[in-house]
Amino acid sequence: MWGLTGLSALALTLYLAAEAFSLAHLRRERDSFATATTVLLWLGFLVHFAALEIGGRAVHSVPYHDLPSSMSLFAWMIAASYGILLLRHRESSTGPFLIPLAIFFLSISLATGPGATMVRDPSRSGSLFAMHVTLAIFGYSALTLAFVLAQLYLIQNQQLRRRKLGPLFAKLPALDVLSRLHRTSVLIGVSALSVATVLGLIWAKSNWGTYWDPKVLFTVLVIGIYLVTLFPGRAGGGKKIAILSIAGFSLLLFSYSIVNLFITHEHMFQ
Amino acid sequence: MSHAADSPLLMIGWDFHQTPVEIRERLAFSPEKVKEALSIMRKEGLLSEGVIISTCNRSEVYGVAGAALADKDPIEGLTEFIAHYHGVPRAEVNGYGYRFAGPEAARHLLRVTSGMESLALGEHQIIGQVREAFRLASSAGATRSVLHRLFQKALETGKRVRSETGLSSRPISIPGVAMELSEKIYENLAPRKFLLLGAGETSGIFFDLLLARGATNIEVTNRTFTRAQELCKRGGKAVPWEDLNAHLATADIVVSATSSTTPVISFEAAKAAVAQRRGQPLFFLDLGIPRNVDPRIGELNNAFLYAVDDLQEIAERNRQERQKELGPALEILEEELEEFLAWFGSLAVIPTVTSLRQKFESIRESDFDRQLEKMTHIDAKDREKIRLMAQGMVKSLLRHPTEAIKDEPDPGRRLDRAEAARHLFDLDVKPKERD
Repeated sequence: MWGLTGLSALALTLYLAAEAFSLAHLRRERDSFATATTVLLWLGFLVHFAALEIGGRAVHSVPYHDLPSSMSLFAWMIAASYGILLLRHRESSTGPFLIPLAIFFLSISLATGPGATMVRDPSRSGSLFAMHVTLAIFGYSALTLAFVLAQLYLIQNQQLRRRKLGPLFAKLPALDVLSRLHRTSVLIGVSALSVATVLGLIWAKSNWGTYWDPKVLFTVLVIGIYLVTLFPGRAGGGKKIAILSIAGFSLLLFSYSIVNLFITHEHMFQ
Repeated sequence: MSHAADSPLLMIGWDFHQTPVEIRERLAFSPEKVKEALSIMRKEGLLSEGVIISTCNRSEVYGVAGAALADKDPIEGLTEFIAHYHGVPRAEVNGYGYRFAGPEAARHLLRVTSGMESLALGEHQIIGQVREAFRLASSAGATRSVLHRLFQKALETGKRVRSETGLSSRPISIPGVAMELSEKIYENLAPRKFLLLGAGETSGIFFDLLLARGATNIEVTNRTFTRAQELCKRGGKAVPWEDLNAHLATADIVVSATSSTTPVISFEAAKAAVAQRRGQPLFFLDLGIPRNVDPRIGELNNAFLYAVDDLQEIAERNRQERQKELGPALEILEEELEEFLAWFGSLAVIPTVTSLRQKFESIRESDFDRQLEKMTHIDAKDREKIRLMAQGMVKSLLRHPTEAIKDEPDPGRRLDRAEAARHLFDLDVKPKERD
């Protein structure tokens, strides 16, 4: 009854509703709004999973082989990462800033046609390859959340430092809470990306006969930058960690776009 | 009931707006006096229900007029009693205060409970004070259906205004602003380490505030060590002034309120302390005039510095923000008031008696008449006679209850009987229950 597009659209609607309640909670703190946000988010997450399941069955693989399906998977992973943050820290005030990420990427997926026939590249197959890509997308999603959290940290830090307490001041969590959320996101992202890189290297060696791909260099650099942020004493504390995290994400974007398009051809979407 | 002057619900009060503190002091009630005054008023038939709110800013009496006030102006009667009770000349009492009846009395209580009548707009301690006043009156057996419903509605309104508007959200006192800022650096203050510089009045206020917030790790330092020790009798630990710099690095929040004319925390000392903290922020609250903390410290990475002027400026901005929230708060208040008045209005005699008759008539028509129509072995003439008998029986059954409601001279008791009838016979659409 519900096809891939229908379920994706339903998931998007649920995410939008979760965002609406999340904003309402930001405006007027009511437990019912926070509960509604969590319930709608998890419902959206489950429906979204069903959509991905349909897409995956069509290609007998994790659905990441084209732009629409990879965007949808990315959006789902963002929702999953945010879900982990919610479960771990019980902090819902960052929801209005993080849920839009899932909405944005799922909207791109829907706009670019999730119902289109997905083509699977036979030269890139096997469970090792699937795990490499899936974990990499999961890592990217967690680091995307870390990027937004770093920005929120800088905003709150700036407001406190300049003594200009804008309307967001009371709504955003304390600096130590933002630090903890950021740290968890980076831990998830770095762990997933590191395992994805190792699996990718093993797969590359057995399929291409070499470990070498310029992408590896950039990924290791990204992981290195994020690793530094996990040591606040060495990194110089909150603000510097946030700036470093944003720099890491910029490099990640560079690696995902410019490196994929112009430096290596092994990481391009079809 | 709709006419305020005829309403048995009334209130009289004196607050800081109109009444000088000397008069307010004389009109104040201790908890014992509250019970005593309520008991006398009820015994003398002045009020059939009553609640007295007495705080440092206001003394207010809410009540449902009793039989003794039936033939005179109930508000005048009540004012006379209060003046007499406190031994304050009537002329003095009359010159101040405010008096409301009916919907205006209910609206005033909702305004008070929402913090709209408070000295600090939106101040929310009043909710607890109103709750306590109601509890005291209830424990003295002075509340029944009307004031029970009114005070529940007022407390509900206060809670809604607090949670759904910004009227109470931002602090407007210097200690309140300081605590809010601290909680935006460290969410949970209880496990944090505080270092208080100075052992004077300001430090004492902060010390109590921190204890109230659950802080357990408080160090106090003062040039005169014994004064620090004196303050720490309530908790915390006194540390020697000479060790100040060593303790800076381990503190999360430093509150400085000394009378020193030169900064007691230098830029260099703060820089060294911040460097030792491995990226953990250090918050300085400089409450000294002149400044106790070198202003350049605010430029250090991971250090935050607020002085008295900064806190005052934020408090003033918050005050202005609260004013803007008055509109949404009033909307909530009117919504809740409307619900109460709908219920209160339904207690009026005529609607209650009409509903009672309609209820009995509808039962007679739907159950008795329908069954009677099916009894075809009885001819039509006899059926009509039986129907008329049933109508007469319903009238007889209702005669006493309706007279008991209509002819009761005590307005408060009349409301109680109306409420009981509506409840027992499920007469009305209940006021909407809030989720």
